[in-house]
Amino acid sequence: MAALNPDIWVDEYSDYLYRYAKSRLRDSVAAEEVVQETFLAGVRYSEQFEGRGSERGWLMGILKRKIVDQVRLRAKHREESPYEDEHDPSEQLFDANGNWKPGAVNWSAAPDQQIEMEELQLVVRDCLQTLPESQAAVFVLSVMEELDSDDVCRELEITPANMWVRMHRARAGLASCVGAKWHAGEEVSQHAK
Amino acid sequence: MPNDKEISQLISQSLRRMLNENESAVVENHLRENDEARKFAELSTLIQTSVSGTSMAEASDREDGLSQQSKQKLRDSIRGAVQEKLSLSQAGLLGPTVLVEKSDGARTLAPQPTGDRRQLQSRFRLIRKLGQGGLGNVWLAQDEKLNRTIAIKEMNAAALAAPDSWHRFHREAEITGHLEHPNVVPLYLYGTDSNTGEPFYAMRFVGKRTLANAIEEYHDRMEAGETGAVCLHRLLSVFLDICQAVAYAHSRGVVHRDLKPDNVALDNFGQVIVIDWGLAKVLEDGELATKLTSDALLSESALLQTMQGEAIGTPLYMSPEQAAGDLDKIDYRTDVYGLGAILFSILTGKAPHENSVAGKASDLVSVLKVIAASEPPSASDYGKCVPKELEQICLKAMARKQHMRFRSAENLASALESWMAGQNGNQAAYDALRMEGRELRADMQATARDMERNIRFAAGMPPIEQLMHAETDEDKKVWRERMAIIFQGLLKATPYFRSFAYTRIIDGQFTELVRVERHSSDSSSIRVVPRSLLKNGPVGNFLQRVTQQKPDEVYTSIVTDPYAEPEDRCPTDMSLLSGVPVYDSQSEDIFGCLLIDCDINQLLRRQMDRNSTADEIVVACTKSSSVALQSKAGQIVDTKSIKLVSDTSPHFVPAIEALQSDADFIDEQNADIFGASLWFVPHECGISYLLKRK
Repeated sequence: MAALNPDIWVDEYSDYLYRYAKSRLRDSVAAEEVVQETFLAGVRYSEQFEGRGSERGWLMGILKRKIVDQVRLRAKHREESPYEDEHDPSEQLFDANGNWKPGAVNWSAAPDQQIEMEELQLVVRDCLQTLPESQAAVFVLSVMEELDSDDVCRELEITPANMWVRMHRARAGLASCVGAKWHAGEEVSQHAK
Repeated sequence: MPNDKEISQLISQSLRRMLNENESAVVENHLRENDEARKFAELSTLIQTSVSGTSMAEASDREDGLSQQSKQKLRDSIRGAVQEKLSLSQAGLLGPTVLVEKSDGARTLAPQPTGDRRQLQSRFRLIRKLGQGGLGNVWLAQDEKLNRTIAIKEMNAAALAAPDSWHRFHREAEITGHLEHPNVVPLYLYGTDSNTGEPFYAMRFVGKRTLANAIEEYHDRMEAGETGAVCLHRLLSVFLDICQAVAYAHSRGVVHRDLKPDNVALDNFGQVIVIDWGLAKVLEDGELATKLTSDALLSESALLQTMQGEAIGTPLYMSPEQAAGDLDKIDYRTDVYGLGAILFSILTGKAPHENSVAGKASDLVSVLKVIAASEPPSASDYGKCVPKELEQICLKAMARKQHMRFRSAENLASALESWMAGQNGNQAAYDALRMEGRELRADMQATARDMERNIRFAAGMPPIEQLMHAETDEDKKVWRERMAIIFQGLLKATPYFRSFAYTRIIDGQFTELVRVERHSSDSSSIRVVPRSLLKNGPVGNFLQRVTQQKPDEVYTSIVTDPYAEPEDRCPTDMSLLSGVPVYDSQSEDIFGCLLIDCDINQLLRRQMDRNSTADEIVVACTKSSSVALQSKAGQIVDTKSIKLVSDTSPHFVPAIEALQSDADFIDEQNADIFGASLWFVPHECGISYLLKRK
């Protein structure tokens, strides 16, 4: 069995794990908590670390499970709010007959430079904050954590049909939000020139 | 044709699942033709790429990290955890771990290489293998230091090969070790084999006998015809102990979730031990969750898979929520179901899902599907006679919906306890009822014997022989009068004797010589029937039978009229008749017979007048199940016409049916009804006493 070195964990991995957790949990306090839990579990389970992967990879494995647990617990304890269940951002994109509204998606081209991609990530991160919890939970588990749809349904105790509906609403909401913010940003930078 | 919105939903899905051919074609068409759709697809793909994997964590916004203060907090808690781990390891509760100080000052946590473990290991001498489970083998061993017999559990080869099993093994030891209860096996030590590095733990040796063995023995004995009230009581007491152990575990936040008779050990001194906590769930908000060093919450789904995977032999006790894989629904009530399943097995000798699964499913997946979907079985589904209340307790514990079950193991235990207490009371009441039923029958038998004694006595009197040989009318008159006086005396002495008759039989014809009878409406008045009113006619069945008896042998039966042919149905006005043949001592030929007639209805009324513990008593003709007399709450119910038991008291029907062939009917299921039957002549009219407990 390989040895672990908990003394260096905070300096080496804590920021990385924290950013990862925060991108999923969208809450700095919750992110800090799961990082702490991850380190503690790491110590408790130290004999299970077999040295086959990196220490960071091993801790990431624990962190990912903790994040899923956190999302699941949050979804479970969330008060049912009619707003979240009825809020359908895709309504803004379509007319009454279900046809695209002209110019519904404010998007022109893919950012081709790396710097733009990173800026896009920041915009996405902000837009994620605006999603209702029920939609965000599906988006985080399915898209970000890449869980199978069966696992997502089990963790959140929802049906597959419900999951796809929430997922679509999350995507539509994000597309609207990211499109709008991205172009607002472009205009500001244009203006500054 | 789907509209734009519906197609956009397919686009959303296409990023996380394969569309089928039709869906793909629709989406591709739409993307070619529609700008908005294309923009939505492009942007959504881009967003997905930007957030997937670790890209967000690696983003350039490096300023978004933990504050120095938070980091210091993390360092402190890690240091605390390392210390705790080292102290637990030194206490022997964990696999040995050491803190290795490296030359550069860095410290690492590493498994202890070797050391004084040899000493530890040599303390135990393995004697023989006791059994094996999914995870490991259990050995009988001798603790050389304390000179006592213990059990040692070690991992088997398959488990050793799977990293997950190491975790589970440790977890099992830790959970068991934290449950200190008389009905949970005490753990002595957790250690590592010095040669192989494989973990083991030592615990109390509880013997090989399990509840499953005891249940099997009990049902074998029942099938062999033994009455099992005492044995059942003993098994139910064991069950209460199991409830106590499980309730205690629940109080510590642990759900066993693999409860079955095989996981309950019974030692020779009646100690009940719940074993195999390897698949237990530690509830997040429970007391133990914070105490365990292993992260008991970490791999719930892996445990469930194991459970389902290892359940091949034993999914038959599994709760529906487990069978359905509803991880989050597993809570205390899952164990309440498991307890109900054990109770079911005690009552029926079978596992709850044995029938529902039989013939329907061959592979595990379909077995689990059936279990998840089926309603709980009842003992009567398995053809077992089980007290109704007990069956109800079982059904409630095993309700498919969790909220319909008992709320806790204690609630289940107290429901059973109050049934058992009531049962003792009921049993006493039922014993009294049985006693009463048997006394009624014995009383009637005594009456019949009394009649037989009387008639034998009368048959031996001199006037019988004198009247036989009297030649003159004067002599005949004298002896008839003397005979009548004797008969009158006998009738006076016994109020329920209705009549005495001395009958001559010759060439298939009978002629009454003397007859003394009670007045039909005034039973206190006894008269000698004048010669002109004495009966004669052809010999019927009853007289035929009497004359077939040997001297002094009495024939007794229930009939209406000794001279008439027997009726198919039981008569309303039943008489108990005894007859004894009278032989001519000179010719040694049959001369005639003596008959005595007892008013059975009057006798029954007298019986019913006594204080009774029964709520209802029905006396019926066994053959036709017509009611002779019915008494409710000590009052005789007057029935004007002939009624059947099924009309007046349907609850007695199973009893009267059983009494066609049996002497007693014992209601083992509910201890409510007792029946006793009495025949004077086999296959002819008999009477049954049917009693119902208050």
